[in-house]
Amino acid sequence: MTANNPYVPFPSKIKEIIKHTEKEWTFRMQYTGDVKPGQFYEVSVPKYGEAPISVSGIGEDFVDLTIRRVGRVTDEVFKLNAGDTILLRGPYGNGFDTSLYANGEVIVVAGGTGVSPVRGVIEALAHTADAKDKHVIVGFKSPGDMLFRDDLKRWADQLDLILTVDGAPEGYEGNIGLVTKYIPDVPIRDVKNAQAVVVGPPAMMRFSVMGLLQKGFEEKNIWVSQERKMCCGLGKCGHCRIGSTYVCLDGPVFNYVDSKDMID
Amino acid sequence: MARDINTKKLKKNAFRYSKVRGETASRIRIPGGVINAKSMAKIAEVAETYGNGTIFVTNRQGVELPGIALEDMPAVNKAIQSIIDDSGVNQEERDKGYPASGTRNVVACPGSRLCPFGCYDTTEFARKMDKMIFPNNLHVKIAFTGCSNDCGKVRMDDFGIIGMTEPQYDPNRCVGCEQCIKYCNIRSVGALSLVNGKVVRDTDLCIGCGVCVAYCPTRAWTRSKEHYFRLVLLGRTGKKNPRLAEDFIKWADEQSIMDIVKNAYAYVEEYIDPNAYEGKEHIGYIVDRTGFDEFFKWIMKDVKLNDKAEVAHRIYWGGKHYDRSNNLK
Amino acid sequence: MGYVISRTGFESVIEKLGQQYRLYAPVRKVGEGRYTDVDVVRYDFVTKFDEIELEAKSDYAFKELLTPLSQTLFFFTENEVKEADFDDRDVIIFLRSCDMHAVKRLDAIYLENKFADPFYERIRKRVKFALIGCAHSYEDCFCVDMGTNRTTEGYLFSIDVAGDEIKSDVACPDVAALFEAADAKAEEVVPAYVTENEVRVTVPEKVPNEIYKHGMWDEYTARCINCGRCNFVCPTCTCYTMQDVFYTDNGKVGERRRVGASCMVDGYTNVAGGGQYRRTNGERMRFKVLHKVYDFRKRFGYDMCVGCGRCDMVCPEYISFANCINKLNDAVNELEGGASK
Repeated sequence: MTANNPYVPFPSKIKEIIKHTEKEWTFRMQYTGDVKPGQFYEVSVPKYGEAPISVSGIGEDFVDLTIRRVGRVTDEVFKLNAGDTILLRGPYGNGFDTSLYANGEVIVVAGGTGVSPVRGVIEALAHTADAKDKHVIVGFKSPGDMLFRDDLKRWADQLDLILTVDGAPEGYEGNIGLVTKYIPDVPIRDVKNAQAVVVGPPAMMRFSVMGLLQKGFEEKNIWVSQERKMCCGLGKCGHCRIGSTYVCLDGPVFNYVDSKDMID
Repeated sequence: MARDINTKKLKKNAFRYSKVRGETASRIRIPGGVINAKSMAKIAEVAETYGNGTIFVTNRQGVELPGIALEDMPAVNKAIQSIIDDSGVNQEERDKGYPASGTRNVVACPGSRLCPFGCYDTTEFARKMDKMIFPNNLHVKIAFTGCSNDCGKVRMDDFGIIGMTEPQYDPNRCVGCEQCIKYCNIRSVGALSLVNGKVVRDTDLCIGCGVCVAYCPTRAWTRSKEHYFRLVLLGRTGKKNPRLAEDFIKWADEQSIMDIVKNAYAYVEEYIDPNAYEGKEHIGYIVDRTGFDEFFKWIMKDVKLNDKAEVAHRIYWGGKHYDRSNNLK
Repeated sequence: MGYVISRTGFESVIEKLGQQYRLYAPVRKVGEGRYTDVDVVRYDFVTKFDEIELEAKSDYAFKELLTPLSQTLFFFTENEVKEADFDDRDVIIFLRSCDMHAVKRLDAIYLENKFADPFYERIRKRVKFALIGCAHSYEDCFCVDMGTNRTTEGYLFSIDVAGDEIKSDVACPDVAALFEAADAKAEEVVPAYVTENEVRVTVPEKVPNEIYKHGMWDEYTARCINCGRCNFVCPTCTCYTMQDVFYTDNGKVGERRRVGASCMVDGYTNVAGGGQYRRTNGERMRFKVLHKVYDFRKRFGYDMCVGCGRCDMVCPEYISFANCINKLNDAVNELEGGASK
């Protein structure tokens, strides 16, 4: 065996499985190394393949991987139970620098499974001294698609949370509308120095950034996380490259000044 | 001067009996469909000098020069000598034109000389065949086509030869891009599928067309060193029972096909109706009389097929039976 | 040091080298081309000098030796992950100057770019090179404008056939000893190299972002059939896709391999759940071309494309990569001209 072969995954025990929806579960994995929110692991299922999964939570002896069941690899992972082992490679990528958001006004806009990579960021914001200046807009397709329900309840008390759904059955009492609808009304005092984090599907990100720029946010204060086909995580396979940038090495978190020039 | 023309001899000498009294047309044989430019110029010259200045391009890749006076036949035969020399057609006596017209021009599609899908040099094989069977008065039609597309329409002939290649697969060069599968589905029979990231060929379904080889971007698929053929038998047009040829052998080799055709001539000599009108009976109708088993016995005599060859021991033809009913109501 | 050696002498040098190294060189594969009775020249194992195709340019590049088209990385049994074995004998690859420059590009991706790839590294460190001199340019070559026409180092020895003799510039003392032993005549030798190509390209220095929306790519949406042949013959394309399989006869056992990938072929950007970037062939062409003559340079400091012209040779739609570079340059000039007004 080649020494320190980065392609060789390590085993990690499933401590707990949190089921948000039928298709979206969080696997709490035993892990003690360095890791940052926004980084990702390759979940490696021998004979089935590998899938890049972003870190959705970090604890003292665990990382959370929120996995959406969409194919061959994730189908296999969903067959496992607490106590079973998953093979992982990583963490890869740069991740969010949460120290940037420790002081001052911050807005996080997250949509759907995009909540996973920023969950650690939101968690950090919730524990800051000026948590009331931390604004979080979280959007899901429908009430049934909501992830991290317990966290959402807690965050609503800890910081300024706007939870919305694109659509809902009659009688739903929460917010209905796209995340972009709520951006203009977020009370920001010093917009030139406020930080913003945007993660979600491509269209949602594009329109959210437009909303933030219109609101007066500086490009250099906006941070986004890009999702591409990250096969190897090592800057080799080429699938995630955009221009001269390897999303798996240089990202997935980018400052908007850089990401706006990244065209697929 | 009174005209006294033996029309039987005229036809045998590859001149046409024309509806225009006193005129004939010279029929130039172009086995394999390829003729050099010099001969083509000569054809034009003969058409200008002796004919009416037009050239008829036939369905079987020959040309006919109409409007020639019957008296000019000997002169035309002298004039076309260089064409016969260039095309390599067998002749009995120089300056006397073609010695027969029964066995028709041997047809070939462009084949691998031009066509990306051609599995062999159709013209070369057609010429080789022509060398073996010509001259002969028996009315036999043979055609060669490069692949199963059958642009040569060989299923309308007594003997149709369709090119095949046996795709050779190197899994170590395959990246699983699935283009072979895609194009086999679109352009051919859909004989390929992806299993464990590599391609599996249904050898029963595969018709050896080589589409997979043509579209493979890595040379994982290559052509077999051997050229193989599908031999289809006894298609025909005509007023009684026009029909398409049916498959007789697949993965046949060149020599076996030569031997089978040669044997077929012997079979016809043996069984042709001695009272056939103008000595002309299509081989298919003879087989209808003798039964397929007898025909099979004759044509397969001393034929040594390769191990890969698959032979049909019974063939059923369909087609239109005008001789039984012609009622569309 | 240089040598002039007779053909038989050189044959004996090759034979001796073959005992120490596995020799890989361009080989003419008769009838293995795309079409009937057409040959293909690609890399394969050789033991004798006359097995090497020195006349024609190889249709496929040497890179398949360093980055195999299909490479098993791991074998899986029920409870075990086993790294696939590899051949650890030393190798000499015979290649031309453009391809020598391509090695540097492969190394940049596989040995640098933050991580070293151990599967590449273990092959790469066993590989040495023999330079095939280019006495003339081939159709489609544009090495001169890409600056890859000449190689002065990095090879054990070079080969230039001159009638019945072979001229070699020998850099390795061990190889020099083999030449000496075969009665080679010492003489200064400079490997032949091309100073002029018929095909000329002008690579734009800087490409503005407006080029992404430029109409020049639409043509390729209509012409290109996204077959990816250009990528597979390219000496500098390095992309791969992971493939996990379990064997049909025993589902408990399987393997993980990587196979060559092409940014032109469908599926390259597909993400789980159905997302896809660059749907049109024009966008894919843009992605590929800009990588070869701009994006790679932004990251590594020199252009990726080495001007070997194999992509032009293989394209079934007669799309010329070289011409595309020139069209790109024209478009950039046009955009810059427009901006300054």
